[in-house]
Amino acid sequence: MTELTIGVIDYGVGNLASISQALHQLGYRCRVSREPEVLDAVDLLLLPGVGAFPAAMESLHRYDLVEYLRRSARLERPMVGICLGMQLLADTSSEHRLTEGLGLIPGSVSPLHGHHWHIGWNTMEVLKADPLLQPSDGHSLYFNHSYVFEAALEYQIGVARLDVPLVAAVRRGMVVGLQFHPEKSQAAGRQLLRNVIEGLCHA
Amino acid sequence: MLRKRVAGVITVKDGWAVQSFGYGRYLPLGRPEILAENLDRWGADEIVIQCIDRAKRELGPDFALLERVSRKGLATPLIYGGGIRDAGEAVAVVKAGADRVCIDALLHDAPGNIDAIADRLGAQAVIASLPLSVDGEGRLAWLDYRTKTSAPVDDRLVVLLGTGAISEALVIDWLHEGQPHGFDETLLARFPVDDIPLIAFGGLSEPGQLRDVLQSPRVCAVAVGNFLNYREHAIHGFKVHLGGLPIRPAVTAVGVSV
Repeated sequence: MTELTIGVIDYGVGNLASISQALHQLGYRCRVSREPEVLDAVDLLLLPGVGAFPAAMESLHRYDLVEYLRRSARLERPMVGICLGMQLLADTSSEHRLTEGLGLIPGSVSPLHGHHWHIGWNTMEVLKADPLLQPSDGHSLYFNHSYVFEAALEYQIGVARLDVPLVAAVRRGMVVGLQFHPEKSQAAGRQLLRNVIEGLCHA
Repeated sequence: MLRKRVAGVITVKDGWAVQSFGYGRYLPLGRPEILAENLDRWGADEIVIQCIDRAKRELGPDFALLERVSRKGLATPLIYGGGIRDAGEAVAVVKAGADRVCIDALLHDAPGNIDAIADRLGAQAVIASLPLSVDGEGRLAWLDYRTKTSAPVDDRLVVLLGTGAISEALVIDWLHEGQPHGFDETLLARFPVDDIPLIAFGGLSEPGQLRDVLQSPRVCAVAVGNFLNYREHAIHGFKVHLGGLPIRPAVTAVGVSV
């Protein structure tokens, strides 16, 4: 069993129970917390999220987590954002109103083009043969979102397709964002989550 | 390619999973969390838990059940319906382990609260649960299951479904629920809103019938309840017979193709 400890950031938004259970099942220690002294001691920070961008950023500010996350990224600590947690990595979002994000990966969040929602199982195509995702190329993963992170091309590492490609995964150094829910994508998702965690922590 | 889904439905009454027949007769099946675990293992595309007595008894969502299900560590997306009265409860349901929420009584009682739920969770997380039938005059009728009364689908519901606060509609053939090969496809053909994806449920028992329903461009998913309980790995069985349709291949939760 691996000895890695994952810090799931509890800012009142997201499906914390599911992600924690998934991490435990993968054999990781898991700390769900918003306390810097607890999060300082983990090997990887995981930012979950379900819901609207402005409310999520408000919560991160309320708990003084914005600067903490920015500092962690500057220190090149491994970090993974899932679903809304991925979108929060962006510079801005236009959901409801223009809101500043964490600014960890260049790009902005905007409504899906030509579709109201992207719900269900879709195939991910891995770009640039990113080693973290490469084993998952062509796998079906579970998506559930209506806004999309339009990251600069150099940071895109995975896409899914509706009529046009949409960004499914982003990476900038030690910071990775996953638009889908690996914790709810059965064996394919669990394998991917393990590869991303192990790849970042042992880089 | 975005796939159409085959969902497994667990109907819960008094805390127990039941087989439900026409919204009026119930046979006990066992503990809901065990059934959820089975559906997860069998590779369902989604699991729907609908607690049918929470709204009627004004009990709110069944958080104890969600906690028991969550402890199972399901790797399958979970939709929860039952007793949700406002945005705070919907958010708490998601925090407790659900990925999406299904709204039924609230559509009758406080449709204004749906916007607030969508604001907090995003419309992609909100599904309208609609028990429907075709009345004697050929009109689509919407059942309030608490009072067991149906009324023709009116503009109020049509407007509500078009606001953008609801992402999909669960079209339930409640009259034929539990009846083999019972689903009435007229419910889909007469559904009054064109641009909302439909999940068909109630009396879907045979692979050929699932195939017919999934071929409708309006249908994004089929949901099967009672008929999954008659044999192991029933989801696999259905999917094997649905080859050629845009569905996710049959896999178990540990990734074995069948």
